[in-house]
Order: sequence, then structure tokens, then C-alpha cells
Amino acid sequence: MIGNDTECAVLASAMGLSKRYGRITAIRDVSFTIRSGEIVGLIGPNGAGKTTLFECFAGVQPFDSGTVSFSEASGRVSTVFYVPDGIAPWPQQSVKWVLQYTLGFFGGRTEIYDDVVRDLRLEPLLQTRIGALSKGQRKRVLLAIGLLSPQVLVAIDEPFEGLDLRQSREVEQILRKHVATGRTLFLSIHQIADAGRICDRFVLLSDGSVVAEGTLEELTALAASRVGKLANRDFEEIFLALT
Amino acid sequence: MSSRAWWLFLLLMGPLVGVSFISAVQTYAEASGLGGTAAGVGEAFSPLVGVWAPTFSACEIGAAFLLPFVAIRLVAGDRQSGALKLEMQHRMSAFARIAAKVLVLFLGWLIALAAPLAGVLLWRSYGGSVYVPELTTVVFGHILNAGLTIALACAAASIVEHPSTAAIITLAVTVGTWILSFVAAVHGGVWESAVAYTPTAVVAQFQHGLVRLDVVLIASALIVTGLLLGGIWIRIGISVRRRIYESLALGFVVVAAVFGCTFANASWDTSENRMNSFSRADEQALREIHGPLQIEAHLAPEDPRRTDLERRAISKLRRVMPKLQVQYVSVTSIGLFEQSNPHYGEIWYRLNGHSSMNRATTPEAVLETIYSVAGVTPPAEDPADEFRGHPLAVPPKHAAAFFYVIWPALVAASGLYFQRRSA
Repeated sequence: MIGNDTECAVLASAMGLSKRYGRITAIRDVSFTIRSGEIVGLIGPNGAGKTTLFECFAGVQPFDSGTVSFSEASGRVSTVFYVPDGIAPWPQQSVKWVLQYTLGFFGGRTEIYDDVVRDLRLEPLLQTRIGALSKGQRKRVLLAIGLLSPQVLVAIDEPFEGLDLRQSREVEQILRKHVATGRTLFLSIHQIADAGRICDRFVLLSDGSVVAEGTLEELTALAASRVGKLANRDFEEIFLALT
Repeated sequence: MSSRAWWLFLLLMGPLVGVSFISAVQTYAEASGLGGTAAGVGEAFSPLVGVWAPTFSACEIGAAFLLPFVAIRLVAGDRQSGALKLEMQHRMSAFARIAAKVLVLFLGWLIALAAPLAGVLLWRSYGGSVYVPELTTVVFGHILNAGLTIALACAAASIVEHPSTAAIITLAVTVGTWILSFVAAVHGGVWESAVAYTPTAVVAQFQHGLVRLDVVLIASALIVTGLLLGGIWIRIGISVRRRIYESLALGFVVVAAVFGCTFANASWDTSENRMNSFSRADEQALREIHGPLQIEAHLAPEDPRRTDLERRAISKLRRVMPKLQVQYVSVTSIGLFEQSNPHYGEIWYRLNGHSSMNRATTPEAVLETIYSVAGVTPPAEDPADEFRGHPLAVPPKHAAAFFYVIWPALVAASGLYFQRRSA
């Protein structure tokens, strides 16, 4: 469990982020912090603005107003690595080429290459073209790219998308293992149950706005204060109560 | 090496060049006396006009219709696949990334030039003459043309989201330059000046062995502009408004630079037969004529005599007499309906208060009139200056086998090898 701001340094924070696509407001006045060593979950249903928020946070998309700040003096590029969802980068290249490219071009963590490949079960896929992979296989390769990146904070959009139940549980353990070695994770998850199992702290997003932020205990108390006694304490009930 | 588009482009270059080369050499051989025709026709033949220009014209086709798609695929492919979202998280600037891709494309183009250069080797094996300066000029012109294509394609691929749209834009610009040429032919004037800097005109100048400093500078400026535009617009993390402002600022700078470059007068005729220049003796005599020479030609833009006058005399005069002022006077674009005008067809030469009129458009007649107006004795012809030509009555042996069989087989085999190695 993550304590308050005085115990863990703030690695990154967003203040008042807003982004519109024409007349549609994708995110509105979004603020949150990410502390070192924690797994923060950005939780929300499809269409809540999670990917837009992620891309604005990572600098892949411009935002209309607000600020994003990082504790590292060198800023965003040194601090955060964003792993998008649903992409098939360099589709003509093999998995091995892509991972080696990550190590070489991004200055990735060579020392954990073998562990990442083994943990994510990528050995049988190393000679396969990215374009020929299934959705779940591509997701594992993208996770590998993120974990091999040199940045301390890895923002992963939908880390469990395309994975079956067993694979999802394995990935949860892998992510926890990396956090234990000093990484910080910012995960965008639309499956509430998955988020409840892995995340230390949550940012609840609904219709483009942050409706709540905090640990499971804090959110439970907040939900109880709004709706009274909850039927049960699972995260799905808490989410429904707060959104 | 993993780009299938490039391998396909490379594969097609062989037959494209082959058709042009074989046809050019066959025609050259027949004009030189092959098959018992009169050999005298080939005496003034220059490989520059008879072989290099048609052979390398395949490069122009490749640059216009094949190379853009390779470039667009390389630049837009990362955006389509999502790789751009990963690459832009690296410290490398967008401009450096675009420059790296352009460098790769340039290298790919240089490799593709192996096809026409193989034609050069074949020509040598036949016993043909190779004048290195003019051949180098032709190659340089096509490299410059490829640079323009690559820059345009990179800019288009960076600005729009979908590669198909970028391809349409690139082809539209190419066709637009052809339309500009047509408009210039009909209306003349400022259009004629502008069309000199289109890719087609640029290539044509170099294919005649002429290197113009203003053309090189302007083409270089446009290439850099395309790359900078590509770098500006590939930064998808920057707001569209800011990218527009940066593009406008770049546009102002480029317009000013291009305008400045138009004042660069220097040019070099690298052709062995000096087809872009008067004889050395005439050029020396013309340089010694002081005072601005004014030529007023009453010829319509589409009148063939005007084209003849411009290409065979005026363009050579401009290189020697920078202060030359030429004015074309006509009411219509064709001239057909001006025949009743008694002054139509007159060409007036004015210098230091003297004037003379001549209707002939040949270089000899133009020079004779200028010397008359200037009061200068025409220089004696130097026999050493006369270009005797390099006739070659040899058919294009083995060329078909090389360009239609060996080249495609080599490229296909190499492509498969590199594809398997990268996998």
C-alpha cells in the first residue's frame, strides 16, 4: 500500500488537463499524481477518455490546457515511456529485431532482456514478423518493449487487452516483479476486476473527468460516504458507486 | 532492405531503363550507318542526346511514379503502424528522424541508378564514347530530381494521416508542374520563368549538359523545405495551430531564399559538343560587347520560331551576356491570327542607340545581326571547335538479356535473401 506524499516522491503530475476534438470534450480538467514505486490505475469505461489522457500525458498528442510536470530534471523523455494499445510497430520486422531495436535505439535495459523474453513467453515468437502475430502475442511484445525501456515510469494502455485469464494473471505478477525492482507503472484499464487486483492507487475517469483518486481504502470510504453501506467491498461496486 | 516497395521499385527500374537504352542505342546505330544507311548522318551525333538522355529518362519516370510511393511508405508506414508513437518518445528530434529516412531513400535511389549506369558500361563495351563531365551532369540532374520527389513525398506523408492521401497529393503536384509547363507554352511571360524550376525542366537542362547555379540552389532550397516541412508535421505531439504557424514562417523564408537564388547567373556547359553555348570565339567576341543588348521579338508563345529562337540562340546569349534584355511581343498565344500584322515575326536588336531587324531565328543569323548592331567584326571559326560526333554503328548486344532477365533475377534473388536474413 502506498502512503501519503511525504513517504513516496512524486514522479509525475498532471494539473487541469483538457483536450477537445472539435466540439467533443475528450478530457476535462484532469489532475492526478504518480508517486515513485506504485502502480496507478487509470480506470474508466470505454470512451471515458483514458487513451486521450494517456497520449496527452506522454506527449504523443497535444492538449488544449493544463500542465504535465515530471520530477526528473530532464523531463518527460527521461521519465516516462508510453506503450500504446492496438499497434503493430514495424510489422515487417521480427519480434527479435523489434526488441533489439528497443535496446539499441532507446538505450533499453539489456540486463533484463532474457528475463523479460522468458517471463512473457516470447522465445517461440522471436523469429516471427510482428504483422503475423495474434492480438495477444502483439500485446506481450508491446509489454516487453515497455519493460525493456530505460525510463523509470512506464505508462501502459490496456496491459491485459487480448490476453486470456491465465496470461493476465502471469502479466500481473511480471508487472509486480518489475515494480519491486524500482519501476513505477501507470496503467489504463477498463476491466475493473483486473484493476482492483493489481493497482495500488486509482484514478477514476468517467466521461472525461476524474471523479475520484486514491487507494482502495480511500475510495471505499468515499463511496460509503456517498451511497451509505456498500453491498460488498469489491472494486466494481465501489466504481459504480462513485461514477 | 526490408522495404518490399523499394525492392519492387528496384526490380522495375531494370526493364524501364532497358527499353529506353535499347531503343536509343538501336536508333543511334542506325543513324550511324548500321544496316547500310548513310553514315554521314551520325557525324554530329553526341551520346549525350542520342543515348544518355533517353536512357536516363527512365529515371525520371521512376522518380515521378515509383519513388514517391517508396518514400511515402517509409515515412507514413511508421505512423500507420503506430511505430511513430514509440519513436517520438526518443530524444532524437523529428528533423533528425526525417533526415535519417531521407538519407536511406537517397541511398536506395543511388542503388537504383545502377541500372542506367550498367547501360553506360554496356555502351563502353560496344566501343562507344563516354564524356565524363556531361554524363556526370546527367546523373547529378537525376539525383537532384529524386531529391525533389523524396522531399515532396516526405512532406506529404508527414502532413496527412493516410498514405493514400499523400500519394494523391504527390502525384497532383507532379501533374501540376506539367500543367504549368503547358500554361507557360501558351502564355509565356512569368510562367516561362517559373517553369524553368519545375522538376521536368530541371532534368531537361541537366540532360543537355547544362548546370545552372540558380536551378541547383533553388532545387536544393526546395529539397530542404520539404524535409523541414516533414519534420514540422511529423511531430504529432505539437498542436496543429503551432505547426501551421511554423510552416508559414518556413514558407516566407523559402520564398525569400528562392527569389534571391534567381539572381545567381553562373552556369556551366559540360556537354562535349557545347550544345548550350556558342563557339569559344563567338563567346569571347560577345563578352567584349559592352552596353545592354535589347532584343524585341514579335513572336507568340506557341509559335515554333519563338521556341527555336529561345532554345538555339537566346538561352546561349543569356549565359554570355547577363545584361541581355529580351522582350516577346504578341497579342495572341498562337500567332496564327497575327500573320496579317506586318510587324509579326520581326526580331529587333538594339544596342547603344543602334538597331537592326532580322526575321531569322537561327543562331548564325542572330550572331550576325548582333555583330552588325555592335559594329564588331565576326570572329573567324576555329576548326578545333567543331564537334565531329561519335557515330557508332553497333546494335545493343546483350542489353535485352541483361535488363529483362539478369537484372530482375538479381534483384529478386537479393530481395529474397535480405528478407529472409532480416526474418
